[in-house]
Amino acid sequence: MFEGVKGFFPPPYDPKEPVDFGSGKFLKMWQGPQHPGITGNMSLELAIAGDTVYDCKTHVGYLHRGFEKLMERRLWMQNFPLVCRIAVPEPDFNEYCYAAAIEELAGVEVPEKAKWLRNLTLEMIRLASYLMWIGGQAGAFGHGTIIQWSATMRDYVLDLFEELSGGRIYHMYIIPGGVRSDLPEGWKAHALEVMDTIEKNLDDIELVMFHNAVFKLRAKGLGVIPKDWIDRYGITGPNARAAGFRRDLRKDQPYLVYDKLDFDYVTAEGSDAYDRAKVRLGEMYQAIDLIRQMLARMPSGGEFKTALPNPLHWKIPAGETYVKSECTRGEYGFYVVSDGSDKPRRVVVRGPSYTHAVSVMETLAKGQNIADVAGLMVSLHTYPPEIER
Amino acid sequence: MEPSIPLRIAYAFASLAVITVYGLLLIGSMARISAKVQGRVGQPVWQPFIDIVKSSGKRNSISHGVMFWLGPVFRLAGGVGTYMFVPAVLGSVVFQNFSMSGDLLLVMYFIFFGQLGMALGASEGGHPYSAIGVSRGLAQMTAFEVPFALSIISIAVQYGTLDITKIVMAQQGGFLNWTLFTNPLAVVAAMIAFLGMSGHNPFSVVIAPQEIPIGPPTEYQSNLLGMLQTNRAVFNGAKLVLYMNLFFGGATNVPVMVVKTFLIYFVNIFVGQAFPRFRTDQAIRFFLGVPTLIGIAAVVLFAF
Repeated sequence: MFEGVKGFFPPPYDPKEPVDFGSGKFLKMWQGPQHPGITGNMSLELAIAGDTVYDCKTHVGYLHRGFEKLMERRLWMQNFPLVCRIAVPEPDFNEYCYAAAIEELAGVEVPEKAKWLRNLTLEMIRLASYLMWIGGQAGAFGHGTIIQWSATMRDYVLDLFEELSGGRIYHMYIIPGGVRSDLPEGWKAHALEVMDTIEKNLDDIELVMFHNAVFKLRAKGLGVIPKDWIDRYGITGPNARAAGFRRDLRKDQPYLVYDKLDFDYVTAEGSDAYDRAKVRLGEMYQAIDLIRQMLARMPSGGEFKTALPNPLHWKIPAGETYVKSECTRGEYGFYVVSDGSDKPRRVVVRGPSYTHAVSVMETLAKGQNIADVAGLMVSLHTYPPEIER
Repeated sequence: MEPSIPLRIAYAFASLAVITVYGLLLIGSMARISAKVQGRVGQPVWQPFIDIVKSSGKRNSISHGVMFWLGPVFRLAGGVGTYMFVPAVLGSVVFQNFSMSGDLLLVMYFIFFGQLGMALGASEGGHPYSAIGVSRGLAQMTAFEVPFALSIISIAVQYGTLDITKIVMAQQGGFLNWTLFTNPLAVVAAMIAFLGMSGHNPFSVVIAPQEIPIGPPTEYQSNLLGMLQTNRAVFNGAKLVLYMNLFFGGATNVPVMVVKTFLIYFVNIFVGQAFPRFRTDQAIRFFLGVPTLIGIAAVVLFAF
């Protein structure tokens, strides 16, 4: 990098220099909310000088629908069409956390078969979400081919969801006490076929994207998250694992049937955009492997749901609980309070996007090249709806 | 016998019409090929024609001053000017255009004239995206111009002329006479510069949708956009014909021209589909590195 000559050229970037728009050196620029380089409906207010970002403020509020408040006015069961919309590309983690919280408060037992089926859908949606993400990451650096490939592969997973639940995006498959239905006839064979296709495509993506000199040039060293930030900011998921942290709720506090599956942490050491992408690619292969394991080991028979009281008159005993799971972005949790009525008293959703898209993004963006802002943001993997519940 | 001036003008219009249609078909077919690589069906080959008709049929309701309006005009003038001084088909009365002694220098000027004019006009829009796009475009242009200019100097020294027609004639008599084989270093340097000139990946940061949408043309729409779309076809055709003439033996008939220019343009798509894009500073560093050294080697080889 050209550093300039002291006393002759001013330094190219001085992080301590105050942003003064009156000086004429700085330009305020909005990236979003309508911008291909932004993830979802949020915006970045950037102060730039030349190509360098001096300040970044994140703005949300373009998508606020008040999920948490709305849930307090609906029956427990009526909230299922709402929770899945909190993180559109992966609604099943919301369904699982909310259902598990109700089950814990109401003391409902979940049949073994239902646990396998729930686990299966969680890994399927993890795969679908990562496929969407990898296209976004490649697209943020202008590699349009990858996004077309991965979007096609994601559609194949959505086909499986459609066969299973009737819905492609919002499934509402996981309900308190189990799941809505068993696997349809021939579904297992189709799923295995789809996994083979996706695995083959991932090999192509790895070759074209991760061994690409230009991608490496763009992504390596971009947005390095120092190790001491992980606990300070509460960074979880692949962003933490790319910094070398062996943290994964599926391993550390196994839920559903994760303790019966063989898998390990996927980690890296560089903690930059490239390593975060490598971790997510590794977790895509891992999700395929877990899906195959589950399809092979899942009990063929048995109940897939427990009989529940009439949902229109179902009162959940008073109490509170926090249920969490490992989604694609990290720890995803639901804090649910019941006052013993037929509606939740309070629901709070803890999504990793608030930390990653607001606190971490605002700090990491400073000093970056304006052309790298989109790539950096995508590399943190965030969903704005999850920030403004 | 030389055709009369009115007849030459009529031929020029005919030639321009042909290259415009061909340029649009080329854009359409390359988009189709890109779609196939990406596993899509893609747009119809004639979609660029529809786009131009649609854009040109709309009224422009904003203005940012005279220079803003003149931006696309300069751009189109650059494209037309480039093409008009390049002989598209050697020996053809219609496609000879206004090729003359020293036309190579004029063509080089026209290549950059359009981009400079466009930068001037786009900057008038006052939109920060335009300004950033202009800055990126000019910086990248300055960088790819170095290996391109070195390549041109090399072949000018090699053939002892700046007349494109003479350079084409010198390459006749067999494909081994093409510059591709007689001066491969110059061809490599120029082809790398061509990637930058065409604005495809990995040198597409100027109009990158993700990094800054959509660069210089941010505020251009309706009929002004139609003009820019037309220029894209003409300018593409002109550059391809120029490259074909300088490096790949030119063409003595239209089918040969079509095949050669298609293959040259395909290099863009081939590379573009396999790579993401460089940042501006990375692109500059790239052009001023290996391609420049290759260009210098090509000059040294023929100068001494």
